Amino acid sequence: MKRILLACSSGMSTSLLVTKMQEYAKSIGEEAEIWAVGQDQAKKEMEKADVVLIGPQMSFLKSELQKEAEKYGIKVDVIDMVAYGMADGKKAYEQALKLMGEK
Amino acid sequence: MEKIDLQQLTNEQIAFQLILHSGNARSKVIQSLREYRAGNKEVASKLIEEAEKDLSLAHDIHFQMIQKEAGGQNTELTLLLMHAEDHFMSTLSMKELVKEMLELFKERNL
Repeated sequence: MKRILLACSSGMSTSLLVTKMQEYAKSIGEEAEIWAVGQDQAKKEMEKADVVLIGPQMSFLKSELQKEAEKYGIKVDVIDMVAYGMADGKKAYEQALKLMGEK
Repeated sequence: MEKIDLQQLTNEQIAFQLILHSGNARSKVIQSLREYRAGNKEVASKLIEEAEKDLSLAHDIHFQMIQKEAGGQNTELTLLLMHAEDHFMSTLSMKELVKEMLELFKERNL
């Protein structure tokens, strides 16, 4: 089971992306738990995740979050601009897998 | 980055584009203040300039929608689009304010 956490300032836009990523994961027969939170909950939620993707509006928090994520040995990255801008679930999912593979 | 042609995008993608560019700007505005605090005044000014470029991309999307509406073609209103507009407007005011603050700090040699 892959556990992917998405975070943006309010958790709204990423919620939509979550739905699209879930659809894609399902279409290729993979089991994944993907969920979105607002930026305040990101630190608390990441202990349950294998990887954290954040929205462009909080990319300035990346190093701060990465520091926290090191406690759990997971990676944090900003969602790829093209994937985000086109609300592309497949691309975002693949980005998450790649980050998990690198850990 | 070049201008975005709305014709090729779904309503949802339009909202995401708006959030993306406003979001990039928002991050740079905050980063700019942080760089200034760290003593990197030039980096701070550069980040504000970059944020303005991101905001002009966002503004262009916003403007195309307004023009479409003026031409009698209404955009479907969704909560996501309102959220995107909210992102854009709040980042615009944030940028204006931070830009003024940085000028003030510079004048006072802070």
